[in-house]
Amino acid sequence: MKTDSCLRYLEDPEANSGHLADCAECRALFGEHNVPSKPLALDALPLAPWEGATHRAWPLVLGGVVVALIAAAVLCMIAGMTPLHVVENSFKSVQSMRAFVLTSADSLRDASRGAQLAFAGAFLAVNGVLVALLRRSPRGIDA
Amino acid sequence: MRRMLRLFVPLTIVAATLVTAMIAAPAESAKTFDLKSITLQQAASMVQQSAVIVSLVAVWMLAAVALTLMSGREVRASSMEIRASALHCFTVGLVAFTSFILTAILFSYLIPYFIGIPLLFALAVFGVLTKIYGMVAMFHAIGTLVAGARSREQLAARKWFRGDLAMTVLGALILGAIRLIPVVGVYVWWIASIFAIGSALATKFGRREPWFLAWRPAEA
Repeated sequence: MKTDSCLRYLEDPEANSGHLADCAECRALFGEHNVPSKPLALDALPLAPWEGATHRAWPLVLGGVVVALIAAAVLCMIAGMTPLHVVENSFKSVQSMRAFVLTSADSLRDASRGAQLAFAGAFLAVNGVLVALLRRSPRGIDA
Repeated sequence: MRRMLRLFVPLTIVAATLVTAMIAAPAESAKTFDLKSITLQQAASMVQQSAVIVSLVAVWMLAAVALTLMSGREVRASSMEIRASALHCFTVGLVAFTSFILTAILFSYLIPYFIGIPLLFALAVFGVLTKIYGMVAMFHAIGTLVAGARSREQLAARKWFRGDLAMTVLGALILGAIRLIPVVGVYVWWIASIFAIGSALATKFGRREPWFLAWRPAEA
């Protein structure tokens, strides 16, 4: 790896393939037995997730959103609902969860010392397991 | 210690499942669905429910399009995680949901001491963001599972039905349609939400970075 010829071979191995016959050092490193010379068949490789991912299918997107909006407007009209009613109804589950949390907090405040300690133990245990689970690195593309 | 941990982790997961099932279970009215004995009032209520669901699906689609346009790569990474290790995402989602509930109760307990309100608000914002991001990743995963290109030829043959945006919109449409099915839809949406929260947290919102840095002493 000392001469300009070696560098030229490294930069473009195909154009300077004759260099291997002259240089024993490069032959030992990049000779037939050391470097697989099979051509890669790109089409035979599995499809990577990012291939074609940036394509923006506007007809489908606009069509889907418009269909959903029209369906929502028609159903609201049939049901005689205003957008305010829709918002109120959609927050029902959030309100029930909020009520559950506030009631539980009130019960916890009035609970015995033992129950409060049990809650603290459960809180620490669940969060400890969550931290342990989050320590695992995601598999994603390595799967 | 290891044996204790082996027992402790599944037990916590089972407890998390029970808590989630208790909180996420649909209302009593949704469980007693019988088409034969339906009254006019119940039918009107069903139309109203459908209107709310379809409106929400439309809002979810708008959010999904916006989020995929802003950070498509991250959404794709989380979607891949759902498909690559679904069980892990589900477990993380269950435990995280239980953790959210327990933390919310703890912060509500602290409301009289004033610190509870800002903490509760921060938790709510974090929870909502996690759910929104995760659901968009879930839409992408469902869309890709159902209609994603399996080979390069298939991808090349498609002119417009490809890409993150198309898969997300398709996933939202499919999950939205399932959500309209009485009783089953509610459960499917909740299971999807658990997967969503799990995938968002397991991939750190698609950034594929560790949540916690491992401490190692500096080498001389």
